[in-house]
Amino acid sequence: MNTPAFKKETFRDDYTFRNSPEAIRRFPFPFAEDEYMYSVNIEQHVSTNPGSVFEHAIDIDEHYIAECEDRRLTLERDPTRYIALPHMMDAQWDMVELIMESLSADYPQWFELTKNGDQWHWVNKPLEIDQTFTFGDTSTLPMEPFEYISRQVQGDWIIMDHRDDDLFADMGMVTSQADWSIAFDAGMSFKEWHGPVPQANEIGIFDRALKYLLHLQYGSPVRRLNWTMTVNPRLDTSPEEFPLWGPDNASVTPENVGEKVHLRVELQALFRLPRSNAIAFSVRGYLISLDELVTYPKWAKRLRRVLTNLHPDLSEYKGLDLYRQTVIDWLEPLEDGAELSLGTQPE
Amino acid sequence: MQRGYWIRSKPLYDSLVWQTPAVAHLVIAGGEGGIAVLKLFQQMYPKDPIQVLYTDLATANKNYSDILQQIVPEELELCDSEESLLNNLEQRLKDCTMGTHFYVAGSEAFMWHVLQKTRAAGVQDVDVQKELCGTLARPVYCVHCKTITRDVHHNVFPCSNCGRHLFVRDHFSRRLGAYMGVMVDAEEPGNIPQIEEVYP
Repeated sequence: MNTPAFKKETFRDDYTFRNSPEAIRRFPFPFAEDEYMYSVNIEQHVSTNPGSVFEHAIDIDEHYIAECEDRRLTLERDPTRYIALPHMMDAQWDMVELIMESLSADYPQWFELTKNGDQWHWVNKPLEIDQTFTFGDTSTLPMEPFEYISRQVQGDWIIMDHRDDDLFADMGMVTSQADWSIAFDAGMSFKEWHGPVPQANEIGIFDRALKYLLHLQYGSPVRRLNWTMTVNPRLDTSPEEFPLWGPDNASVTPENVGEKVHLRVELQALFRLPRSNAIAFSVRGYLISLDELVTYPKWAKRLRRVLTNLHPDLSEYKGLDLYRQTVIDWLEPLEDGAELSLGTQPE
Repeated sequence: MQRGYWIRSKPLYDSLVWQTPAVAHLVIAGGEGGIAVLKLFQQMYPKDPIQVLYTDLATANKNYSDILQQIVPEELELCDSEESLLNNLEQRLKDCTMGTHFYVAGSEAFMWHVLQKTRAAGVQDVDVQKELCGTLARPVYCVHCKTITRDVHHNVFPCSNCGRHLFVRDHFSRRLGAYMGVMVDAEEPGNIPQIEEVYP
């Protein structure tokens, strides 16, 4: 993506979030086949397809300013969405380095980083931030280093401490999650944290994913896609706020389904961190309404087939039960039974 | 969910067995946890120093102070409340050295209160033997108002702070020492499933 104009939009209340045609075209549609089941599906997080969400280590798009503002609002309501256990200070600085270095290298028109020894100068033009600080000295930043930098980036970040051949979710900034709570899950081992996910344990997903991740190397990040669906373009679908957004799940009708129901895709990337040896796990969400998605007939047909074939446990876990059939019925007129090409490309 | 599904954060509890050799043994029990202490003293008796901390609890169906006084041969301290037991434990932990083995028995709420003290002293949960006694009552954390309700016996219950009807999940946080409770009728207000006593 060249230089998107950052949009002024909301992810709550009046929900003015929309995707531009360009954002729809680059949407990371997750279904390469007509059926879906969990798999480890990890690949190297290398730059592919200029303009795609995979071009840069950390993707900045037209929703950047609005998403940072939505995070600020969520933290104002509930500061426990950010947590860092006391032994994670090295990892906090690792995150400052990772995010500042990659944003300034990939988007020099918006972000500038100048280093003079430990004296760092950070400029974030879209958010109008200009900060000089001493790397490694927390007192030179307005808040803890990880909170400071994670307020300036899209997507959730969970930092996993590596010890005892396991990964512990000991730090996180989580304000746009698919119904899980960092305040509750903080400190959990990898399998405890993923405990509630149905079916995946049974087929050994987490054993293999953990083994793989324990060998993750610095400088060789990896990625995978995950998905769910959300009613209304709401980033903060947290269990904390379930009383607020839960009723929306029962509000879908054949008339409003195209506008209300969104496919929510997570680009999950994992980076080994150099000082702490922790692993940064970024969960970057992309939302697309069904109205926007069906502008590409292949995606419409494939989504309908995936939802029709979906394992009931996954449907329940992802919270789709109240409106899945409405979505399938609404997509039905677009289904012509044609064989679809393998792969996620829109055409 | 299908047969075979279980949430891996849910702790599994065992029976207390002396771990030898050890530098010392510290046994901590409350209420019905007293029976686990009695079972320990029916096993081979270690030569290493043993300390036992126990308190009767008003919520327990049976308490064991009297019989423990007869059975435990040395270093038994009877506390008059959970709070004073936890304070006593905090003091003793300062004098514990590497190689001390820890044993805890009682309800889940009691055990995880003890484990918060041992963790603060640098002892990992996995290194503490735990035996669940007397009740399956669960401590439950309200994910909405962040309050823990101590002894929950039902699949759905009203939060002791915010009053929302919470469904008790199997998902457990060792850091908080509680299961997760989520509002059961958020999607369809008033639609509350049948309430059953599943944790007697």
